[in-house]
Parts: sequence; structure tokens; C-alpha cells
Amino acid sequence: MFICGYHFPAEEGNDVAFDKVIEKIDAAVGDVSGKSVTLKVEDKDGRVLEEIAIDAGTFIHKALVDYYEKSEIEDEYKMVFYTNKYQISEISKEVDGDKTKDVCKILDDMNLHRVKVA
Amino acid sequence: MSELRQIAFYGKGGIGKSTTSQNTLAAMAHYYGQKILIVGCDPKADSTRLILHEKAQSTIMQLASEAGTVEDLELEDVCKPGAAEFDPEDDTIDGFIMCTESGGPEPGVGCAGRGVITAINFLEEEGAYDDDLDFVSYDVLGDVVCGGFAMPIREGKAQEIYIVMSGEMMAMYAANNISKGILKYANTGGVRLAGLICNARMTDREYDLAKNLATQIGTQMIHFVPRSNHVQRAELRRMTVVEFSDKSEQALEYKELARKIIANDLKVIPTPLEMDDLEALLMEFGLDEDATLDQDMIGKKAEEA
Repeated sequence: MFICGYHFPAEEGNDVAFDKVIEKIDAAVGDVSGKSVTLKVEDKDGRVLEEIAIDAGTFIHKALVDYYEKSEIEDEYKMVFYTNKYQISEISKEVDGDKTKDVCKILDDMNLHRVKVA
Repeated sequence: MSELRQIAFYGKGGIGKSTTSQNTLAAMAHYYGQKILIVGCDPKADSTRLILHEKAQSTIMQLASEAGTVEDLELEDVCKPGAAEFDPEDDTIDGFIMCTESGGPEPGVGCAGRGVITAINFLEEEGAYDDDLDFVSYDVLGDVVCGGFAMPIREGKAQEIYIVMSGEMMAMYAANNISKGILKYANTGGVRLAGLICNARMTDREYDLAKNLATQIGTQMIHFVPRSNHVQRAELRRMTVVEFSDKSEQALEYKELARKIIANDLKVIPTPLEMDDLEALLMEFGLDEDATLDQDMIGKKAEEA
């Protein structure tokens, strides 16, 4: 199955442990502490609703750096696939709990999100 | 040469199955060079119109009726190359898409399933499933209550089933029903469920609903396709989004879904839910995160709740 864009072979079943996803992302991105992550939220007409700085040291921060670096989109702000933003939120709720609760609520909405990493 | 994969898109009527399947298959051909034959199994014959840039192509059943019998037809009569870049003769992209529609009887007369199986047998006999192809894709109407529409599964043709659904109750009910159909023929024909595709209505907690339904029936929610006006803009031009605007966000969503289908190896015998469990799932995830619904609220008006 596919989580955060990664393929997990069929023998791992249809309910892959979040630890395995985090392991893959860790291995791919390494140290991300010096990177800033900005999430831009747009409504369906393309109006920017808000821009949020994502706290370093959280799963969302790491996962969005990974997404940004892997993405083939060439824009400065790269559109985040809906599937990925929901999966990132789901894992974050489990591993970061209240720390990222407000950002998760934003990730769970129906708006289009774009990410910039600097 | 990789082995031919026979996949099918099932889903309840009106869920956006043909739009999703055509856009996804277009992405598989456009971005990944896949060579595809689409076999439309819907009497509406609208499974290929965006690839052909046509209203609806003549169906095998229609042409057979005009010619006398299906034996009077040639493959070229019923199997058309996709338009523009999807034509095998066009070298803009590496992939191509060939299109055919089974068709069916007049409304209210006969069994559509017979048309489907007659068409598939004809295509096989005439060599349409040739070595050049990577995928044959069936686009099938309904929720398998009608055995006729289960033909591609029953006859062991489609091996890998993708169910197009959304977070609405009837779409989930149909997805569960289709799983029951797959389960019925899984051991005899080898058909497997390969994933749910959520063609989103953008209702609250739709991802949670779709994902949890997928997990409970033993499969994956392979991709959440957001709603976009771009799809309709492309449809009005009788085109897929992929062809209309291949760098648009919606086209990239289909590209990601295409990548996953090509790489997908999670093909399972499903474990469909009982109706009570399905309702419980809707109760649990079908509301705002902070809201709860107790049994004693059933049948109560909003102002009474």
C-alpha cells in the first residue's frame, strides 16, 4: 500500500504501522532542523486564506520537507496531494498529539495546501 | 515484455467512475507510457468519450445488431484508437489507448451482462488483447446486485478491481456490495480487490470514512481524488484533464493515482462488512470530529437534537 507516497509491499498488509512510515521518511530526509517549512492554504478559487509556519521537531515538519524534496512540481510553493496531507495529519495526531492539533485541523480541511521549504 | 494486467473500475452509477477511470488511464499512458485497451461495460457507452473526443462510440452490440451477428464484425469496426496523443500512430507520448464499448440492450429489455460477455469474448477471439498491451481496463456500471454486471469478475477476465466511491452512504454501501461480489468469485476466478478510489464529494471527514471502510474490508484507500472544476472544463471539451492541462493540479492528482496503480501489489480477497457495521462506521466518522450521535437521536429533527 501507499502512505505519504511510499510503497509498502503487500506482505506488510493494509494497516502499516506508522513507525515504519516515520522510519522511511527519517532515512530519506536526514537532519531537517535547519529548514523552515511554510504551508499556504487556498480555497477552491485560489484565494490565499492563511500561511502557517510549521514547527521544527514535529512529524509534520519532517514529512513536508520530505514531500517537498521528492515532489516533481517545479513551483516555489508545491501543491500537496490531498491523500498525503490527510495521511500526514493522521500520523501527526498519533505521534505529536496536542502539539500539532491545530495544524492537523487545518490539514484535515478541504482546501488546497501548498508547501515551501527554505 | 511485462505481463498483461486486466483491471476494472467498479462503482455505483453517478459516482464519477467513467471520468475517474478515463483520467487515470490517460495519466498512465501520458506520463508513464502505458499501452492500454479500454473495454467500456456500461450500456451508456460513455467509458471512452474523453479519450476519443467523441460523444459516444458505436458499441459492439449495436454494430452486431446492424451487421446481423457479432461474427460478422471485424476488430477494426469496434476497436478505435484514442484521439490525438492517445492514438498509437501518434508519437507525442510513448503510451497509447485503444477503445471499445460493449453496449447493451434497449432500456428495459434483456440483460446488459450478456452484451458485456459477448463483447469480451469477441475481443479475445479477434486478438485485441495482444502482446503490445500493458493493461486492459474494464469500466463497469453498478454494484453487482445484477449478476450481469459481475460478468468481468465471474468469467475471470478482470483480475484487479478498483472501486470508485465517495464518503456518501450509498457509495459506501455499493463499495461494500461490490466487495461481496468479488469475495464470491475470488476463489474460483482469482479476482482480487486492489483498492478504493475516493472520488471526493468534499464532505466533512470523507478521508476518514473512506480510509476506515478500506481498512475494514481488507484493502487500501489508494487515492483521494479532490473535486475540481478543471474536470468539468475538460469534459466539456470531451477531453481528460491530463490532456487538457497536463500540469494542472488535478492532472497531477491523477498522475499520482496512475503511479500507484502501476506499482500496486496489494490485491486481496475482501472482507465485506455487515450492514450494521457499515452504519456504525458512518456514525463514527460521518460527522464533525467533535460531534457524536447516540442511538436515541435516530429520527430526531435538528431542533430536537
